[in-house]
Amino acid sequence: MVTVREYFGNITNAVRTTYKGMKITLKYWVKEPSITVEYPDRIGGLRSEDLVSERFRGYLKVETSKCTGCLLCMRVCPIDCILIEVNRRDDRRYLDRFDIDQAKCMYCGLCVEECPSAAILFSKKYEGACYDMKELCVSHVSSPVPAARPAKKEAPE
Amino acid sequence: MIQHNLPDMIYKFLLGISGLSAIPDFLLVTASYLIPSAAVLGFVMFVSGMLTYAERKVSADIQNRIGPNRVGPFGLLQMLADGVKLILKEDIIPDAVDRKLFKLAPYIVFSGTMLAVTVVPFGGPFIVADLNIGLVFIIVVSSLIVVGFLMSGWASNNKWALLGGIRSAAQIISYEIPAALSLFTVVLIAGTFSMQKIVMSQGPYPWDWFIFHNPFTFVAFFIFFISSLAEINRLPFDFPEAESELVSGYNVEYSGMRFALFFLAEFANIFISASIAAAVFLGGGNIGLDPYESGIGFQLVMVLIFFAKVVPLCLVTIWIRWTLPRLRIDQMLSMCWKYFIPMSFACLAMTAIWMLVFNGNGIFWRMNG
Ligand code: SF4
Ligand code: SF4
Repeated sequence: MVTVREYFGNITNAVRTTYKGMKITLKYWVKEPSITVEYPDRIGGLRSEDLVSERFRGYLKVETSKCTGCLLCMRVCPIDCILIEVNRRDDRRYLDRFDIDQAKCMYCGLCVEECPSAAILFSKKYEGACYDMKELCVSHVSSPVPAARPAKKEAPE
Repeated sequence: MIQHNLPDMIYKFLLGISGLSAIPDFLLVTASYLIPSAAVLGFVMFVSGMLTYAERKVSADIQNRIGPNRVGPFGLLQMLADGVKLILKEDIIPDAVDRKLFKLAPYIVFSGTMLAVTVVPFGGPFIVADLNIGLVFIIVVSSLIVVGFLMSGWASNNKWALLGGIRSAAQIISYEIPAALSLFTVVLIAGTFSMQKIVMSQGPYPWDWFIFHNPFTFVAFFIFFISSLAEINRLPFDFPEAESELVSGYNVEYSGMRFALFFLAEFANIFISASIAAAVFLGGGNIGLDPYESGIGFQLVMVLIFFAKVVPLCLVTIWIRWTLPRLRIDQMLSMCWKYFIPMSFACLAMTAIWMLVFNGNGIFWRMNG
């Protein structure tokens, strides 16, 4: 008797569980919209930068007008991917070179934290595919620019 | 004389346009059989192409994805792109294979599939050969595919392929039995093996269909549908190809066009099993008119009705694939031998008793007046 009950129990179980599963997939088939983002060419008029979160760490960007040329970022970088040359001419300090090798950079953010004038920041750019790895070494200074003067330290209260 | 198959009609037509004398008779006869065969071949290729598209779209919908949408409108031309890709692929024949068998196997699988198509009634007069043993013919040629599977598995000289081939033999041969037994319930009612006659002895309305003839044919329909899933290697019974266990089973060594033949046969099989289920249990393209005598407009309506039944069944096949996980192989065999064969046999016996007791009438026979 037990085996008979088990036998038909198996059949009803099979039918019931199959029905349950099929109902779930039907729901997903008919109702649930797709969540695919058709990157890169059909993203609804957005830019690729808009797809990432607020705190995304993309390529580093440098605002040379703010940079004081203190070289803190270059020193703090654990893998030496920043190279800055600062030269003094006519009583002014000039940024002659500011290269960041994005191929080496591990986006640790130490340079961003360290910069006293918030000149070096993460951008949201991440589409950096290129044919030669050397292209990933980005120069942020093409012709010498005068370094900014450091802001006066606010007097402690 | 009443024309009772498509080649005869084509023969008459050819005779009509060519005049009596010009072309030797045997050419006309050959042509009248070749034309529908070629048409059906092309058509089934098209259908299996569309089914690959449907499979990808449905699976994408179920998994919250989009699926092919780049080639052509809604990605409808994806199958052309796939076909071109497969043709352009290098056709590799590994060194260790048995070359003759390796080359032969895809054609056996493909022709086994295509032979089954010849007796599928597409509604109206559109059936290539209305054999008087049509149903048996389908069962027989569909097991011919096993030979191809085993052959490709053996010839590939690859353990996965061989395992796949052996599994497919075990599976297809055991599921042949419940499939055949459940089809035979209908034969008891219709009293014929001819596909066209089976369709004609049903009616246009659901209560005329054999699935609702009595409770046992209702069960038999589901048994047939599930065991045909097993016969065509669809999930949850896709042991011969089991991607995650056997990589791709019997066709693992194949590439290029030979692989495409396996692939086409597989998708054509979905269509065939759906159309057998539709023709035998769901009334096929029957709209209550004689398929040979009515006008061309009605005949096309019959074809439409037929496809209105086949397409949902194909979609259900796909839907099942993306719902159920693969069984274990011992579960698959015990399911067949412990459940399906006794059940389908019981259905057959009970239908026979039903026919005796109720004098051949279905449950809804009063509705038919
Ligand atoms: S993010 Fe880190 S690795 Fe990259 S440049 Fe800054 S300090 Fe160096
Ligand atoms: S980017 Fe910031 S840390 Fe680096 S040199 Fe300029 S001011 Fe100094």
